[in-house]
Amino acid sequence: MQAVNWQNGLEQGAHPAGLLLKAGKLHDRPAQTDLRVKSPAELARLIEAVAARQDRDAFVALFDHFAPRIKAFLMRSNLPAAAAEELAQEALLTVWRKASQFDRQRAGASSWIFAIARNLRIDSARREMRAKVLDLEANEDSEPPAPPDAELLASEREQRVRAALDHLTDEQRRVVRLSFFDGKAHGDIATELELPLGTVKSRIRLAMNRLRDVLGDLT
Amino acid sequence: MRHHPKNETLAAFAAGQLDEGRALVVATHVSLCAECRGAVAAFEAVGGEMLNSVEPVAMSDGAREHALALLDREPSPVAPAKPAPRPVWQAEQETLLGYDLGPWRWVSPGLHYRAVKTPEVGGTRVFMLKAVPGLKIPAHAHTGTELTCVLKGAFIHEGGRYAAGDCDDADQDDVHNPMIDEGEVCICLVAMQGNIELTGFFGRMIQPFIRI
Repeated sequence: MQAVNWQNGLEQGAHPAGLLLKAGKLHDRPAQTDLRVKSPAELARLIEAVAARQDRDAFVALFDHFAPRIKAFLMRSNLPAAAAEELAQEALLTVWRKASQFDRQRAGASSWIFAIARNLRIDSARREMRAKVLDLEANEDSEPPAPPDAELLASEREQRVRAALDHLTDEQRRVVRLSFFDGKAHGDIATELELPLGTVKSRIRLAMNRLRDVLGDLT
Repeated sequence: MRHHPKNETLAAFAAGQLDEGRALVVATHVSLCAECRGAVAAFEAVGGEMLNSVEPVAMSDGAREHALALLDREPSPVAPAKPAPRPVWQAEQETLLGYDLGPWRWVSPGLHYRAVKTPEVGGTRVFMLKAVPGLKIPAHAHTGTELTCVLKGAFIHEGGRYAAGDCDDADQDDVHNPMIDEGEVCICLVAMQGNIELTGFFGRMIQPFIRI
């Protein structure tokens, strides 16, 4: 079903950028998908470069890395391709605007941008209040003392998350992905995996408890 | 703070998957609970890791150039004045920020009810309950889940004592027989899916109101 949405979205060519390009108003560098996974520290540096000097090359690097991933993430939450692309654009613009609020000691680049994309998705469903609340932490004034090596901290944190996910069984990882990332209701997961609802619920409970145990509080 | 939402509830909140009513109750608790802010940050990091590892879907041709063109229209970013943290629940004014609240309505002796106007999604309704100290709330079970955050005062039931900021994350299996603690009026924020099933005389009396 997702493949159908994807194709429909492409056929529509709905995005204004596509039209501009066809009209020859922009030089045509093909939009690339950056498949190489950048290190957390590298991504954090790019956001900081945007904050410090409105660095457009850094912005392009962030765009190439995150826009196709945000688009994929939103399409997995059942958004049509055109809408997902528009929100991915908006997310990267938000990164440009809010770059100065990024603090690598508080959150990794990926989780910060994940939260931006999530809030935009909620906003687009007119749930602004919630997004504001989730910004609460980012707006707090208290400045924690800088740890000796913030860079190490950022990559350590991402490693911990990766290790935590690796600690799950395949079955647990699957339900976490489906519920967390694909936005599927527990009932839909049960149907998809052909499992009783109670089994799905207890599997999710176990998986989330496990993640929390391994991760502790990431603050 | 002794009672928190379940981890799967906090994870769904961090993932942006809760309906607005449940999200509002969790947000209220989270705004009052540093530990759960840490947990939400941890689950957001899981989201970040999943975002990083997802199979990318190529943007349309020219999407990047379009984004760069949009940057030209952006006012040059000035360091934004940091807005003061805005907790969802304002204890002094006894109000919730950002939501229209209905009037307090009498339900039964010592018990008042006030609707919180959120779009009803997936059958979740949000309301506040205000009860006088010592009041026994009729025994009830749930047909769906019930998420409660205590805003003021305290109540006690089989799960323990729930004071301001505490969250009761209950589902079908829980039967509750709560009593309001002595000393202070208790105000709770409740997001309820399905209905509660009341037993006893008071139960049948307030059932029509609660069903609203």
